Amino acid sequence: MSTPGSVRSGEHTQYTPAAPGGGPRGDSSSRRARTRVFRWEGIIPLLLVLALLGLGWMLFAERFMRDTIAEAGTKALGAQLDIADLDIHLLSGSLELHGVALADPYDRNRNLFEIRVVRVVLDPEPLLEKKIVVKTFTLGDIATGTKRATPATAVTGEGFAPRAMAEMQRFAKQFTVPLLSLIPIDTLKALVLNPAQLKSVQTALAVAQQADSVKQSIELQYAQLRVQETVDSSRALVARLQGTNVRTLGVDGARRAIDDVRRTSARVDSAKRRVDALMVTARRGLDSLQTGVGAIDEARRDDYAFARGLLKLPSFEGPDLGSAVFGRVTIDRFQKALYWTSLARQYAPPGLLPKESPGPKRLRRSGTTVHFVEPKAFPRFWLQRADVNVAVTSGSLGGTYAFAARDVTSDPAIVGRPMLFALRRSAKGNEVDSLRVVGSLDHTGATVRESVTAQAAGVALPTIAIPSLPYSMGWGRGSSELRIALTGDQLSGRWYVHSPKVTWAMDSAKARPLNTMETLVARVLTGITTLDMTADISGTLENPRLSVKSNLDRQLSEQLRSVAGKELAKAEARARAQVDRIVEEKSAPVRARVAELRTDAERRIGDARTKLDEEKRKLDERLKALTGGVIGLPKLPGM
Amino acid sequence: MLTLLKLVRSLVKTLHSDGSPAQIAFGVALGAALGLTPLMNAHNLVVLLLLAVLNVSFAAGMLAWAVFVPIGFLLDPVFDRVGHALLVGAVSFRPLWAGIENAPGLALTNFNNTVVLGSVVVWLALFIPIFFLARFGVVRYRATIGERVRQSRTYKALQASQLYNVYTWFRP
Repeated sequence: MSTPGSVRSGEHTQYTPAAPGGGPRGDSSSRRARTRVFRWEGIIPLLLVLALLGLGWMLFAERFMRDTIAEAGTKALGAQLDIADLDIHLLSGSLELHGVALADPYDRNRNLFEIRVVRVVLDPEPLLEKKIVVKTFTLGDIATGTKRATPATAVTGEGFAPRAMAEMQRFAKQFTVPLLSLIPIDTLKALVLNPAQLKSVQTALAVAQQADSVKQSIELQYAQLRVQETVDSSRALVARLQGTNVRTLGVDGARRAIDDVRRTSARVDSAKRRVDALMVTARRGLDSLQTGVGAIDEARRDDYAFARGLLKLPSFEGPDLGSAVFGRVTIDRFQKALYWTSLARQYAPPGLLPKESPGPKRLRRSGTTVHFVEPKAFPRFWLQRADVNVAVTSGSLGGTYAFAARDVTSDPAIVGRPMLFALRRSAKGNEVDSLRVVGSLDHTGATVRESVTAQAAGVALPTIAIPSLPYSMGWGRGSSELRIALTGDQLSGRWYVHSPKVTWAMDSAKARPLNTMETLVARVLTGITTLDMTADISGTLENPRLSVKSNLDRQLSEQLRSVAGKELAKAEARARAQVDRIVEEKSAPVRARVAELRTDAERRIGDARTKLDEEKRKLDERLKALTGGVIGLPKLPGM
Repeated sequence: MLTLLKLVRSLVKTLHSDGSPAQIAFGVALGAALGLTPLMNAHNLVVLLLLAVLNVSFAAGMLAWAVFVPIGFLLDPVFDRVGHALLVGAVSFRPLWAGIENAPGLALTNFNNTVVLGSVVVWLALFIPIFFLARFGVVRYRATIGERVRQSRTYKALQASQLYNVYTWFRP
């Protein structure tokens, strides 16, 4: 490395301490000769450094990339991603990953899949733009649902995937799955209701407060009308002019009298308009109160349900029974589908606006990385087409699968086509005879749409425990179809299951003596051998609705009604009567107060209106008398 | 402590080198980029290349790197804001950023990161002031206490040390 300005052999130094007497130092010709701009030899150490970096790359790049991909993948997917080895082939622009395992985000002891080898061939040109365009993508030897040797680390933090997971758990909690309550009705305790808990009582109290407020407002506005002052003033004028002969008043007197009458008449008209306005306002307030009174009756229906809930009466309604038995397992299915959909929305947002994401981790502040999208550029990630034939060699879903995907990208607005994928399995296997999954993710427009349909035949469905009973139901092998579509925030989905050979087994760990209701339900359930279940999900992500119907809940409902219907009806009637008593006690005074307020307001406003009409009539008569009946004449100048 | 000592040594050596004040100041202004901006970025490779091939003080550049690193950390929030204003706030610049991000090679500069862009812009804006301040500082030092330091025992000891010898190997 050369040091700038340093002395070459046979040259003078540029910097020397100032001579005591000052004066010129060095000679100007030698200075000119030394002031060159470039020192090309400086490139040599730089090349050496670059060579060292290259050596470092050769030694550590694969390990560095493996760790980076595993860390980024874990963060992005919300589940631990392990990569045993990674090979980079610079000449062919390809990458090979060995021993790839992704943990199940819902079960840390299982892997969603294990892949022996993944080979990715990249288009080199987009790499210069820090973009990844995958030309071919191949997988080899996949095992699904394998058990992990060590439990996966829980992914925490502020990343998107943990947030999406938490969001989906919150989504699942929004559903109210009814309890399968099988308490014998004759053992029901007396109902103790706290009036403050009843919605209708809360509504009545609110209406009472509103009534006070409306009353105060009407009284204040009525006082501001100054009706009595207007009426008194008019009466005084009429009395003053009573019996007055216009001829005795003279021209000036007549003119003043006519002016007075006209002025007072105008004040009366103005007061009438104010009364009319008050009438409109008062009616609006009173109508609102009446609506509030109506809401008390509507709230009472909720209170009946609330009281019924306190009694823990068993519901014999089909949808309630269906939701009680199959609700959790259904929500679980939809929740998983929506988790992956929400990930797709995050990583493939619509539109061409700049997208912000956290900058790279470093000692310095990460900042924000802003991605600018151009319509005629490469997307940041684009898997143009993938056709993968996979032989899953182990696990419960072993068999041959054909997977195809098209236009999987991070910038769907550039690609301009929806992402499509399909998975098909035809060979009969341990747990599935055939499986077909098709889906599309359309993020090209302003409203994003995702739809997935999964059909399975001859599938070994999981065993589910029956809530409140020491029984479990084996679905056996059947067919299943799950469809889910998300358009913007609107959710629509259906899960249909048909099982021709349902089996029932007593769970010995939970075995206990059954009461009469439970015995009845157990007898009905164990007699069912064929199951058709349809679960529908609808609404929005923020306010989803679930409805489950099956032949099981229909049969159960009929049997329960025939046995315990009368007792149930009596218990319900008792609960309703108690609610009615409390609500009537609290709401009757409110109703009376609202009615009284209406009557009073209408009477007072009506009286004011009558008085003003009467005064107006008298003033018109006086005016007629003063003007000799020519009221409609144009006003004379000065009059 | 050792780092501080090395820094002082480097400072003294640079100030007493045979480089002109302008060469040292230019080295400082270039080296400031290495400290002010996040290091592992393509523009710093260019800065290193310039430090190596331009006839400026490489040692001053290295010294400036060390001096400006803490300043860079301190100013990170400012860089972030400047970068955000340029990347997100200034709509008229969007075609430029989109062009850079989608141009082969230029996309590797990471100029779409708020801290990187903000720090580079601030460094460029401060380049001339840093240059003149450094040049003024060197001139004043040499005119005032430079010779006294040169004659001091400490400096002579430093000159005689092995490190100084290593340093002189790089002299032409």
